[in-house]
Amino acid sequence: MEVFYKIVSVAMVSVFVQNAIFDRALGSNVVIYASRKDSHVIGFTLGITAMTTIASAVSYFFDSLLLPLPLGWLFMPLVYVAVISALYIIALLFFWRLFPKVFAKIRKYVHLAIINCTVIGALFLNSGYGSDIWSYIGYGFGTGIGFFLACFLLNIAHERLDSDKIPRVFRGYPIMLIYIGVISLAFSALVGYTAEF
Amino acid sequence: MKTTKPAVSFDGIFRQNIVLMSGLVTAPIIVAATTAERALVLTISFFMISYLSILICRYIPRKIAYNVRILLYAAVAAVLYIPTAMLLNAWFPETTQSVMIYIEILVVNSLLLSKTESRFYLKPFGEMAVDALIYVAGYAIAAFAVGIVRELLAYGSLFGATLFDAPMPAAKSPFFGFILVGIFAAVCRALSGRRAGKGAER
Repeated sequence: MEVFYKIVSVAMVSVFVQNAIFDRALGSNVVIYASRKDSHVIGFTLGITAMTTIASAVSYFFDSLLLPLPLGWLFMPLVYVAVISALYIIALLFFWRLFPKVFAKIRKYVHLAIINCTVIGALFLNSGYGSDIWSYIGYGFGTGIGFFLACFLLNIAHERLDSDKIPRVFRGYPIMLIYIGVISLAFSALVGYTAEF
Repeated sequence: MKTTKPAVSFDGIFRQNIVLMSGLVTAPIIVAATTAERALVLTISFFMISYLSILICRYIPRKIAYNVRILLYAAVAAVLYIPTAMLLNAWFPETTQSVMIYIEILVVNSLLLSKTESRFYLKPFGEMAVDALIYVAGYAIAAFAVGIVRELLAYGSLFGATLFDAPMPAAKSPFFGFILVGIFAAVCRALSGRRAGKGAER
């Protein structure tokens, strides 16, 4: 039960306090893209949540091995890319063999959901904040849920932000960023936290 | 009269700026570009990781499936990250450490994973090298524009030299980064629209 509480509390931190999108802007381009369609919100959330959770668990072992070494940190991007690549190929093979129809649908954009700043950023943040494998898993899972929250908030506002009520030059991408900025402001006020940037 | 399309396109500077117009690489600018020096570090890292990766990855055979090829692109970028991080740590140790995660995530940036396939690798090598460099210049312009404005507002300084009392310390926060990049994106779009309009008139 203690493990469960730990996972939940760390996940809550990564959803509300250190939200990958609102607090770090990790994958903000992906969230803007994914929020355009309801099906993308679900697909991207599932892909990112699965990847951040599993990759976080795997990266814990590499972090334990490499980070204590004097120059180990220099190789972490390479290690994380290898971890993400291996999981990506396993996921592709899994869908190709067992769910060929799903594979045909997702193959065009699955790499966007798996190989992006949100996933690799979660691994880097984990290496700084995580203390044991449960906190790694909790943080990774929370990052995926945090992505969903951001995606959902953008999705429900998408129609209005793209409407004639918005001046033409602001419509689409610029107003999306401003909207995310306002939510980011609300999040930082909500938790009374300021990132060191 | 027959017109030929110019070999060098400056789209990457303005019309297709990867930060302000297409939003392909936004995170480092939104969060980390809070001073001009940080903008410089981000620009050098982006050049060394993304630009050099684009040139090297050109030689990865296109026979390899796209889903696998992009993994190789990311791996090449991760290898280039090693000398980049060492160099920047030697030149700007404090600034580099403070923006390190935004240098690390460049190994999977969208310019490298998407734009290579849809634009750069469709051109001859020389033309591609110039085109990619122009995109990097567009990134640098966005980084410095955001970095200078935020440094002036948040610290009242420029390149570390104090000019006046900081009028808006919150300008260094991520939320301000989102709002400022959004406003710059709108301005960029308006200017781009005007230029296109003038071009059509001619």
